[in-house]
Amino acid sequence: MTPVTRAQVEDFLFHEAALLDEWRLDDWYALFEEGATYEVPTTDRPDADPEKAQFYVSDDYELLGARVKRLKSKHAHAENPHSRTRRLITNVRVGQPADSSLPVYAAFLIYKIRDGNVDSFVGRYEHTLALGDRLRFRKRRAVLELEVLRPGGRLSFIL
Amino acid sequence: MTTTPATDVRPTLQGRRSPYIFEDWDARIFRVNREVFRSDEVFARERSRLWDRLWLYLGHETEVPKAGDFKQRTLAGRPLIFCRDANGQVRAYLNSCPHRGTILCRETEGNAKTYQCFYHAWTFANTGELVGIPDPGAYPPERGFAAQMGLREVPRYENYRGFVFVSFSVSGPSLREHLADARDYIDLMADHSEQGLEAIPGTHLYGIRGNWKLAVENAMDGYHFSPTHVTFVEYLKTTGYVTSDEGGLAVTLDNGHSVLVFSGHGGRVGMQWEPRFGEAERLQVEENVRTLTARIGKERADRVSHTSRILYVFPNLLLFDIEGLAARQLEPTAPAYTEVRAWELAPAGEPAEERALRIKILGSFIGPGGLATPDDVEAYECVQRGVVATAGDPRPEVDWSDISRGMERESRGEPARNVDEAGIRGFWRHWDRLISAP
Repeated sequence: MTPVTRAQVEDFLFHEAALLDEWRLDDWYALFEEGATYEVPTTDRPDADPEKAQFYVSDDYELLGARVKRLKSKHAHAENPHSRTRRLITNVRVGQPADSSLPVYAAFLIYKIRDGNVDSFVGRYEHTLALGDRLRFRKRRAVLELEVLRPGGRLSFIL
Repeated sequence: MTTTPATDVRPTLQGRRSPYIFEDWDARIFRVNREVFRSDEVFARERSRLWDRLWLYLGHETEVPKAGDFKQRTLAGRPLIFCRDANGQVRAYLNSCPHRGTILCRETEGNAKTYQCFYHAWTFANTGELVGIPDPGAYPPERGFAAQMGLREVPRYENYRGFVFVSFSVSGPSLREHLADARDYIDLMADHSEQGLEAIPGTHLYGIRGNWKLAVENAMDGYHFSPTHVTFVEYLKTTGYVTSDEGGLAVTLDNGHSVLVFSGHGGRVGMQWEPRFGEAERLQVEENVRTLTARIGKERADRVSHTSRILYVFPNLLLFDIEGLAARQLEPTAPAYTEVRAWELAPAGEPAEERALRIKILGSFIGPGGLATPDDVEAYECVQRGVVATAGDPRPEVDWSDISRGMERESRGEPARNVDEAGIRGFWRHWDRLISAP
């Protein structure tokens, strides 16, 4: 297998960021392999295991599908109208591939703008990508550096 | 923001009860003046009459399970150290060095035998004694100086079945007296397990741009569930979940507490099976209910296992006994801003598979990243933004919110339904009694 370069991982993450900023959620969901997960641990337990600790988000593939479906509904009030978001993804690092999995790390800064407020969410990604004919998410984990989700206390958008 | 004081509002409605609350059972009308959500003066009055006087929920004792464990927690604006001392006793100290007032403990959590102030290196045992002062000879030991300068505990502290409360007042009713009939509902939660409950690691910490009372109203409001959470209900339907509002009650308790009871609300991890829990959990639930029945009898076991409840404990605690168990603490910091802390609780010693399921199921619903709570947050924040529109309106009837739903039924002697607003009215009456008294 040809090794995956950092540039390829960056292209994947930047493409993902664009899909999310454009609220193209079906296209975004298609970046996940079946059985993949999306996790956001709490700010006080950034290293926790979702089977043992409360998380902000701990979606299996089906629940993630339900989240996407919900966010596309005009009845997802917290995001109707949608927030404007702009994601800055940087400091991308590629770990050692094992079997068909590739760990990747990146820093993110997401601005969320709505109702006269500009909220910023800063943190790091600790993803596991599935290697194949194209990259996909196997585990997508967003870890906040914030101490508290303050002041915009909702992860109604995708972090 | 500061607007026209509520006392200047002259409603055309007759029978006004206070500057803030209007209640008229002939007309079946209950209204709340919106100044309560905006006013700095009301906020200051709440601080002195509620938060500085009443019992406040601090945390669950299992958050600090081992001797020496501590957590920082700010309550009623006061930074505290919530800890378990070397003797295993749970304590709450003011996080302020008795010497000059410095924040003493600067780690958000951890384990420590002693707390040392970095400023002048005074050292305190976790049992409170001042055990070290550099150059102690400057304070003559025979005067008992060190004994006067130990850690300051909160004025009052009590523990009810693992739920730790503190009061910043030296006098007043005991915790048991304050909880009154709310104790029964706390017992129903605590009775889930013979080994008691434990707080699961991972705290939801978030801020909302809304008055704390909007969070109370929202939790005691079954009326909003269908329209606000339509997307969550649609998701539940895809999992084979069946729910009904039939038979649900709102119960107003003494001292401002209230509870919504949901009997047509299926799906309680460990207690009441539904299809999305999976087959393995079905067997586990049967075993749990058998064990529970043997321990506390069939009648009580039915209550513990097969009804869901949301309990509001005045003023700062919401207990959710629904798909899972959760405690939510409200910490107002300004009229239009509230910090929320929420813990998931679980029966101590439950099987790992059930624990994982519990976390997953409750997490799909509540919390800032769930499929439902963000829409509640949207509601608090939209009310907070919306009530500005009517502030100072020259027409006296405009700046009031309506909480009348269900009064017609109640006046016929029928029990209050959880899809009506009786629980919210109970809250406001008690709030008003404390705030409007001279």
